[in-house]
Amino acid sequence: MEPPKIWREKRQRYLGIGVKCLDCDYKAFPLTSFCPSCGSGNVQEYKLAEKGRIIQFTQVNQTSNDMMANVPYAIGIIELEDGIKVTGQIVDIDYSLIEIGMPVRMVLRVLSKDGTEGLIKYGFKFIPVD
Amino acid sequence: MSKVGIVSYGSYIPKYRIKTEEIAKVWEEDSKEIVNQLQVNSKSVPGPDEDVITMSVESARNAINRWGGNVKDIGAIYVGSESHPYAVKPTATFVAAALDAEESLTAADLEFACKAGTAGMQMCFGLAKSDMIEYGLAIGADSSQARPRDPLEYTAGAGSAAFLIGKKRVIAELEGTYSLTTDMPDFWRREGAIYPSHGNRFTGSPAYFKHVIEASKKLMEQLGSRPSDYKYVTFHQPNTKFPLSAARMLGFSKEQIDLSLVCKEIGNAYSASSMIGLANILNYSSPGDRIFVTSYGSGAGSDAFSFLVTDMIEEVKSYPLNVDYYVNRKKYIDYGVYVRFKGVLR
Ligand SMILES: [Zn+2]
Repeated sequence: MEPPKIWREKRQRYLGIGVKCLDCDYKAFPLTSFCPSCGSGNVQEYKLAEKGRIIQFTQVNQTSNDMMANVPYAIGIIELEDGIKVTGQIVDIDYSLIEIGMPVRMVLRVLSKDGTEGLIKYGFKFIPVD
Repeated sequence: MSKVGIVSYGSYIPKYRIKTEEIAKVWEEDSKEIVNQLQVNSKSVPGPDEDVITMSVESARNAINRWGGNVKDIGAIYVGSESHPYAVKPTATFVAAALDAEESLTAADLEFACKAGTAGMQMCFGLAKSDMIEYGLAIGADSSQARPRDPLEYTAGAGSAAFLIGKKRVIAELEGTYSLTTDMPDFWRREGAIYPSHGNRFTGSPAYFKHVIEASKKLMEQLGSRPSDYKYVTFHQPNTKFPLSAARMLGFSKEQIDLSLVCKEIGNAYSASSMIGLANILNYSSPGDRIFVTSYGSGAGSDAFSFLVTDMIEEVKSYPLNVDYYVNRKKYIDYGVYVRFKGVLR
């Protein structure tokens, strides 16, 4: 895990920062320097809504070594309250209890660990709103 | 001149719990006797993707959301813990970034066993009172480790609490603070060691009780206050028995301390222990209530505080993600899952 990549992505991973196009109002995640809809470079930071609903999910049983501590885990597509869809892990719930339409909210968790001496990568995941 | 005090507060407790009887079963010990002795039914366990950084951020976000002010006005962030994920790379920098409070602030990690969080509160009170900062955020967070089969395994829990300190919209004015510090070999962990060691029975009278009792007495003496002047009190909670005994020895009633005893369900949250107790007390406080707090950290020291709750408490009390919410949000796990979550298997 390269320090520059972790540093560059911290705002989007810790805070859920994407972009909003000032020309066509399109909102997107993750951070880009061009609008994915109209191609304009006239974009500014936009903070995603922190709550949403699960629209699809599946279980991950195999992954890279730096994430194996969490396996098996659930990953889902979440439609946030502002209409943007993001992918994220769904935690603090048994896989058998996850349902489509379930309300969730963002929390900060460990995404991966580079062994016992490398960097720890943090970012948002989702937990059920209960 | 406006007084310095607590402006907002937030807490966080992981969802997972292991029951005292589940741990006792593994070691074939008498769980009834242990529960009777410690008065701890279960302890909190962080999920496999939780640590002091993630828990600090959650409690800090709860304090900020409860307050609703501008994070850029925070001039200091201190995180007290004995289980920072990095030996070198401050937890406080992650908190600043995750709150979007970068870049104009000072920050540092503190360590003083279970009282590093209240030491951070004192630093924030000093900086805010002297107008060196507008607001300071003091966090106590721990994900404590206990060697399997060590008596500590029954109580070593996890959690976090964050206090925003300043002079504007104060919900609890600081009436005074007093600290007692001595060099005491009651509990320690050497650099690079995974598990802490302790002096068994030595941890009681000369350590916990001496510091908590003397610091509390001294502060009340300085303020000219008595236990009966306070609506609520909280002490550090290594188990439930110690704070109850300390309260009795000082002349506080069971009613005054009862609300703070989250230890019964979450165990010892170390740096967050007395701070989660205070956060729960604030949830139930009314204007005019006085609150007494004394932390304890091995090594050893106690920080005592006296607070007066103001009318502003009513503005922030209704925030839903409070101590009750986190205490009730729970899932019991067995010893096998506990061992996996704690990373005991390497
Ligand atoms: Zn556009």
